[in-house]
Amino acid sequence: MKPMKLAALLTVIVTGGLLLFATSDLPDWGDPLSPANASDLSTYYIQDSRDVTEVPNLVTAVLADYRGYDTMFETVVIFVAGLGILSILGQGKCEEPLAQPVASEQNRERDMITIITCRLVVPIIQIFALYVIAHGHYSPGGGFQGGVMLGSSFILIALTSGLPDALKRMSQERAIFLAGLGVLIYAGTGLVCMALGRNFLDYEILHKLMGGTGVKARYDSMLIVEIGVAFTVMAIMFIIYAVLSSKGRMRGGL
Amino acid sequence: MSLMINIVSGALILVGLTFFLAAAVGIVRFPDFYTRMHAAGKGDTLSTILILLGVALYTVGDFSIETLLVAIKIMAIAVFIMVTSPTSTHALMQAGYDDGIKPFEKEKEDKKDSEDQPEV
Amino acid sequence: MELFFTLAGVGLFALMLPILYRLIVGPTAIDRIVAVNIIGTKTAVSLVIVGVIFEQVGMFVDFALAYALLNFIGSLAAARYFHRVRQEREANTNNASTT
Repeated sequence: MKPMKLAALLTVIVTGGLLLFATSDLPDWGDPLSPANASDLSTYYIQDSRDVTEVPNLVTAVLADYRGYDTMFETVVIFVAGLGILSILGQGKCEEPLAQPVASEQNRERDMITIITCRLVVPIIQIFALYVIAHGHYSPGGGFQGGVMLGSSFILIALTSGLPDALKRMSQERAIFLAGLGVLIYAGTGLVCMALGRNFLDYEILHKLMGGTGVKARYDSMLIVEIGVAFTVMAIMFIIYAVLSSKGRMRGGL
Repeated sequence: MSLMINIVSGALILVGLTFFLAAAVGIVRFPDFYTRMHAAGKGDTLSTILILLGVALYTVGDFSIETLLVAIKIMAIAVFIMVTSPTSTHALMQAGYDDGIKPFEKEKEDKKDSEDQPEV
Repeated sequence: MELFFTLAGVGLFALMLPILYRLIVGPTAIDRIVAVNIIGTKTAVSLVIVGVIFEQVGMFVDFALAYALLNFIGSLAAARYFHRVRQEREANTNNASTT
């Protein structure tokens, strides 16, 4: 083994050992008294968020309600990233035939096992993704995670049946439309709050439209916002895969 | 009753770990790619199903609607892995075959046999 | 019983080490992909066991299912990518030899 490689290995082992040693000083899992939870803000989240929003999962309440701006611009970042990849790498609609057809009929017959398995699995993945989105209030999950799963189900179709089949279900135009729709749902919720006379993304006032109490309105509008995030993440995930795997031609693919 | 469920689930997990041990030994010891895939595909899937079955049984030990739901979810993972793990093994095997990986043959002993045969 | 599950988790982790050996040594790239696939499947199982130890199975089961799912898609994608890189390399060498 070369001396440089040996030195690199030693460095990695020593650093990893130090990090493992340091984990013994970390606070216990879910400890409400750990230093990170000692500030006034964290104490407020831990003690009051359940009463104010009715959401048992603290993370979702902070993510979608208290820090709504942050999450909205994260969604916008994902949207802009997808558009950037599409506009830099994408070559629009390329009609000239490929030099070498990748997904031929011969390939299809050979891949029958994977294609049939994916027909079985894709609906399960999508239902599970919807569960993850809708269950974000009670367990870890929410728009980002569910959106990734929905996007990966389309990627699975593209991997097995070829990119053209996946683009038939989710064309480039439709994906961009859905990504924009997601951001629009999120920002629109905030704008409706403004129109009703409160601050941007202050969901409490929405009870005038949805009925029920203000607390219930906060609970429900978090779900609406998560659905918007899921739309954007799903569409952008698939767009990124389609562009990168086909080198921008949107044909062929892996 | 609860003790018996614990014993059965513990036994299932132990059997699953044994199968995983077999898969691990196979993956390290087998001579070529195809035989290693054989150990990986079968041993891995079976051990996963057995361990998850044991955990599901343990979860349903103190019976309520909630634990029943969790046990069904665990079995859903088992079914999912039962369907997908052989499929990915198949896809990887196909990729390796297209790559032109040669199956292992006992070259030296075959040569010896062919040299020995004329004399016999 | 909790001790048993802890030991089972440790055993599961210990049995991943020989597969890690195949991941590092593995003569071909496909061997490494197979090793990653197996470790991924077993990670889903160990997530469930961690859930039992933390008495939060309902939560960890969701992680495990998502992990198993992404692992499946990942290994399929790796297989496809490997296949295509091979095809393109062959096409390039053919072109180089004919011209």
